[in-house]
Amino acid sequence: MKRTNQINRREFLAHTAAGAAAVGFPYLVPSSALSARGRGGANERLTMAHIGVGGMGGYHLGDMVGRRGRGEVNIAAVCDADENRLANAVKTAGKGVQPYRDYRYILERKDIDAVVIATPDHWHGVQMVHAAECGKHVYVEKPACCTIEEGKAMVAAATENKVSVQVGSQGRSQPEAYLAHRYLVNGNIGHISRVDCFHYPSPADNNPVPDSDPPPELDWDLWLGPLRWRPYNKRYCHGVFRWLMESGGGQIRDRGAHVMSCAMWWMGADGTGPVSIEATGTAPTKGLWDSAILMEVTYTFKNPDWTLTWTQMPNDKLPKAEKRTGKEPGGRISRPGYGAIYRGDKGEFIHWGGDGGTWAEKKAREWQPPAGAKDVYKSPGHKEDWFKGIKTGAKTIMNIEAAVGVANLCVLGNLSFICGRKLNWDPVKQEIIGDEQARRMMGRPQRHPYHL
Amino acid sequence: MSISNLKKTSLAAGAVTLTAETAGTAKEKAVDELIVKLKGTDDKARAEALLNAGEMGAPAVKSLAKLIADKDVEVMRAGKRAMWKIVRHAGRPGARDERRAVVTELNDLLGDDQTTSVRREVLWMLSEISGRRSIKVIAALLSNKELREDARMVLERIGGRQSIAALKDGLNSAPEDFKLNIAQSLRKRGEKVRGLACVKLVPTKKTNVKPLT
Repeated sequence: MKRTNQINRREFLAHTAAGAAAVGFPYLVPSSALSARGRGGANERLTMAHIGVGGMGGYHLGDMVGRRGRGEVNIAAVCDADENRLANAVKTAGKGVQPYRDYRYILERKDIDAVVIATPDHWHGVQMVHAAECGKHVYVEKPACCTIEEGKAMVAAATENKVSVQVGSQGRSQPEAYLAHRYLVNGNIGHISRVDCFHYPSPADNNPVPDSDPPPELDWDLWLGPLRWRPYNKRYCHGVFRWLMESGGGQIRDRGAHVMSCAMWWMGADGTGPVSIEATGTAPTKGLWDSAILMEVTYTFKNPDWTLTWTQMPNDKLPKAEKRTGKEPGGRISRPGYGAIYRGDKGEFIHWGGDGGTWAEKKAREWQPPAGAKDVYKSPGHKEDWFKGIKTGAKTIMNIEAAVGVANLCVLGNLSFICGRKLNWDPVKQEIIGDEQARRMMGRPQRHPYHL
Repeated sequence: MSISNLKKTSLAAGAVTLTAETAGTAKEKAVDELIVKLKGTDDKARAEALLNAGEMGAPAVKSLAKLIADKDVEVMRAGKRAMWKIVRHAGRPGARDERRAVVTELNDLLGDDQTTSVRREVLWMLSEISGRRSIKVIAALLSNKELREDARMVLERIGGRQSIAALKDGLNSAPEDFKLNIAQSLRKRGEKVRGLACVKLVPTKKTNVKPLT
């Protein structure tokens, strides 16, 4: 709460009143303004704004509306580059919520404590950094970043501005993730030397269309943001941005940011990285989308030595999902098409999902810890964990350093795939070694003025 | 040199020339086959052609660039994909000569005789594998209204003294509406830019959606 705490209450109220009068709508009082002097009573609610309100952004807004109803938060603003989505968000959020096309209006508002960013992936880095620079706490959807350079900037911005960041790899906060984590760290399958992540393929663009004018409701320039200019094509958006290498990166960056997040957390590997990455796969041969359809990536870790793999495989090769009654902590397995197998010297363990649905194998759920067993952090919920981070300064469960570490795995897997060769990586400096072309691809120049 | 030795040497030289010519012809044939497969409608043949396109190298670049200008969107995309495969293959460590040959071909494709879409794609290809040899041709595009933003981003990525010098020259001659863009690249490369404040946090775009009252 560094930035907002720096404003004294009288100055703050004068500023917001003037601002509100100027734009003709009521500003809200941020929680931090009044609680900074230790008087929490007047308004303890965090004041939120939502940037990107379609898809997952729509989910987050609905969730936050529920929290507002329970007196946990205020909602001050919603933002989207698509006017139709924005109009729907206004209806969902109700009276007193200001719509914006340009997220930077939100960042100017001193009454907003925190933002939820659920834009396409190519915006995550820039918007998170900008929000941090304006003193806002951030919940940003996964994957954290699309390039190595963005990830470094995100970590630096969060650290320098002392804001709390939670990245939306919410698998870490699921009840069965806790059970799996506890089961594994207590040595139930022995020393784990290999984790094999599995996922069904990325889709091919089987309905390609030529470029066209963007629809009137969409600000194409703003949607593209940092990406280099190109004509609009219907197959870029909305949700299908995931299948473009530049904006989504395919299944490895979409779900890899979930499944590999669990792996890094449970293996105690946050803050570390592989020393080499080698990917192979099949690229689409028609249509706009260019992410790998099938894919196999091997990440080699040293000190301690272990191997992580990511495989996008045909559906008929996927491991069978466990049968369930529905009474388990996570209920029935509704997304059996992805997960990971942990291979130890005393046995194996499997989980399915890894995102908002995370399902652990029966033996982990039923394991009763003996006296003296190690316990692990149990998240109170992904957003609750973030709120705790905002209010206490505690590290969030999917903090930006950890999230960038996971996103880097996804980014490097794709880089190895498109370069067609093994990459060597310095996990301390976070740099590719000995490959000038791949090194250049660690960053991507950004279009003016949508840059870090 | 004895006559017999001279004859032997001449014969050997002839064989080398013949071998080079044969190899050249074989390469041309392979490029022709690649183009035919990429232009065709057989998805399997196109996939197979793309798989091996990277190794075709510099001799295939200009033929593929013609595909990028093709009116058939799938032919255009196939041409683009194949060219990128060549760029990624040529960029591998230890392939200096191949890379130089590809860069030479790409540099030639930045001229006015090419379409904007070809030149834009080529600029980004050069951003990954080129260096000093391309700075002049790229910098020339800083005055092209359609391509200047790509050109300045590509110079930013290539980096180095000559790129920075080209950006500085570009800044001096840039119209007002483009100065900030170049200033951004210079700052990114660690240069101080006076009088052109960064506007990344300045909102500009208003919505037509009204709040509920």
